Amino acid sequence: MKTLLQILLALAVAVGANAKEIKLLNVSYDPTRELYQAYNAAFAKYWKAKTGDDVTVSQSHGGSGKQALSVINGLEADVVTLALASDVNAIAEKTGEIPADWQKQLPDNSAPYTSTIVFLVRKGNPKGIHDWNDLLKPDISIVTPNPKTSGGARWAYLAAYAYALETSSHDDAKARDFVKQIYKKVPVLDSGARGSTVTFAQRGIGDVLLAWENEAHLAQKEFGADKFDIVTPSLSILAEPTVAVVTKVAKKHGTTEIAKAYLQYLYSDEGQEIAAKNFYRPRNETIAKKYAANFSQLKLVTIDDEFGGWTKAQKTHFADGGVFDQIYQP
Amino acid sequence: MKINRWLLGTIIGTQFAFASVAADESATNGDADISALKQQIQELDQKVRVLERKDELDKADAEAAAKKQPLIKLDGNGFAFTSADKNFSVGIHGQLQLDSRTFFENNVAPGADGFLLRRARPIISGTVFHDFDYVFMPDFGGSSTVIQDAFINYHYNPALQLQIGKFKSPVGLEYLQSVKNWAFNELSLASDLVPNRDLGVELHGDLFGGILSYAAGIFNGVADGANTSNSDFDNEKEFAGRIFVQPLKKSGLAALQGIGFGLAGSYGDEAGASSSAGYKTEGQQKLFGYRSTVTGDGAHWRIAPQAYYYYGPFGLLGEYVESSQKVAAGANTATLENNAWEVTASWILTGEKNSYKGITPDHPFDVSKNHWGAVGLFARYAQLDIDSDAFPIFADPTTSAKSATDWSVGLSWWLNNNIRVMTSFSHTTFSGGGSGSVTGQDENTLFTRVQLAF
Repeated sequence: MKTLLQILLALAVAVGANAKEIKLLNVSYDPTRELYQAYNAAFAKYWKAKTGDDVTVSQSHGGSGKQALSVINGLEADVVTLALASDVNAIAEKTGEIPADWQKQLPDNSAPYTSTIVFLVRKGNPKGIHDWNDLLKPDISIVTPNPKTSGGARWAYLAAYAYALETSSHDDAKARDFVKQIYKKVPVLDSGARGSTVTFAQRGIGDVLLAWENEAHLAQKEFGADKFDIVTPSLSILAEPTVAVVTKVAKKHGTTEIAKAYLQYLYSDEGQEIAAKNFYRPRNETIAKKYAANFSQLKLVTIDDEFGGWTKAQKTHFADGGVFDQIYQP
Repeated sequence: MKINRWLLGTIIGTQFAFASVAADESATNGDADISALKQQIQELDQKVRVLERKDELDKADAEAAAKKQPLIKLDGNGFAFTSADKNFSVGIHGQLQLDSRTFFENNVAPGADGFLLRRARPIISGTVFHDFDYVFMPDFGGSSTVIQDAFINYHYNPALQLQIGKFKSPVGLEYLQSVKNWAFNELSLASDLVPNRDLGVELHGDLFGGILSYAAGIFNGVADGANTSNSDFDNEKEFAGRIFVQPLKKSGLAALQGIGFGLAGSYGDEAGASSSAGYKTEGQQKLFGYRSTVTGDGAHWRIAPQAYYYYGPFGLLGEYVESSQKVAAGANTATLENNAWEVTASWILTGEKNSYKGITPDHPFDVSKNHWGAVGLFARYAQLDIDSDAFPIFADPTTSAKSATDWSVGLSWWLNNNIRVMTSFSHTTFSGGGSGSVTGQDENTLFTRVQLAF
């Protein structure tokens, strides 16, 4: 018995001595800080139990477009978890560090959770904002980030545009004018969703924040449900934040296997639970049902159906000289 | 009269009614004004918040942009550009030495008195991709333009670095000191025997926080006291290496922290090469030279134990060099062993800390503040002995000395980190050599120098 204990102790020491310390960099978009703080701890525990190795995941957060540009300019991310596929596509096209078929590497087009855009208003909804058309009331000031840099802002823009299309029999000119009027009411454009939350919730600017659903819930949680209300519009867009391994960087760092596992674990029960607890809509139907009370029911349109996909939407609306540049005058 | 009271009451009542309505209207108007004022205040409050927020965002953008801006520096160390991520840099430095030499001779041909531009060196140095340093240093002083240093150094870490190009061979302690920190205008007789700059590749580094330094390299090989001609005319190479230790550098014994000692050496084979440029005095006059028929004919090794000690304003540096070379003159061959040694003492009169790497004046020259810089005294004694087997086959005993002894004293005034004024006197005596030559009389030389280095 004593001998067996000695052998087991020696093995434990040997395993401990041989345990590797691995570092990953996850470049993510602005509002996912709390999500990945919880997820990284859970993944580290899972990986330690599975392989004995210690993994530390460093995070970088910012507007999704800005983050993509950072990676294009050389920031060595092992994985990217960005707000929209278009930003991951940009990295793939401009650097070749992500394969062109990256979206097929993981289920659900590499979008392990979804979200949408809702309205965060002052408590009691003093300005009576219930739907997108209420945003055009004369005394309303709107807070939303810059679509040139923020993925959430692009989803919000497209959600507003989609509403206008749906309520005008798909009259593009009317939809364009609708969105133009909305951006006239935006007093300051932050570069990312978290910046806009600070502007609205901490700086007290504006009457309504066009927010990621999770940001709206987190703002209530952090600042108090007695300060803000969440208003669900009649229609919004199904936002699909996507994830990908930056293959060439992971290969250089020797982290390919763990980077893949890191993203795959987002689809596990634990990963999906963490997403749901942080107000991201899980893909797992069982877990989605469990947390259904966290999420409002509303009509969700998709970017594919409404705008022909991200490539077309990016080119039409957000590229230099696109619709946003035409309608927005600072 | 009832009618009058009724009428009066009606009138009064009506007045009251009107007054009440007027008061209500006034109250309503007041409420509306207050409401309008409140609305205006809210709008102004929002405007102020928006402006403050825009200012915050502008500041954050400016900070982020500043982090990407290259750093430009101009100070006593020269001019430097560094990228924001510090992976790239380029620096421009320089050394300018304006000398005068005055020879005091008696009967035979004097040395050449005069002023000279001893060194005029623009220095371009920098780093690319974080780990690769480079130096390019031409010299326009003297009578010709020479590339003194041109090398790339890969520093994996301070303990392991690889240098390739043209640079100082790692042998002579006095010679390895930066020229701007030399005790005297010219090096001692001991440095006549060490290789100067050579082309090669060298592994070097500092270990244990600088307590031990090492260098080991393969070079083309040069004659004693000579620089490479930037190409190699024989097939042989020379190994050169040095280990230097400062064992008590990090100890608590302040008086002993400045002790350093080491051993350097070289080994090569110079078959077919010309043997030596000869040896010169401090006044740069040739005191010994091989006959023109003499060539290197085999092994050439050097060994150079060396040491220094610095404590407070006091400094002491010494080295011994032995150079052994197999030479041939026609059918005659010999292995000649020449040796030299020197000791240099220094004292910084103004109390600044003395060091191998120079001194920094505590109070740079500024008349308005009654600051005068730093002043130091230097003294040196050196001796060179030629192997007696060199004469007469390999060297002419009438023109080449068998030995030379030199003592020098000097004064240096550092106005600041960049400007130094030096004056010194050296006296050299010879044994051997004939009359009518450098070695036929003692050499007495007065040197001055004004130096700019940045």
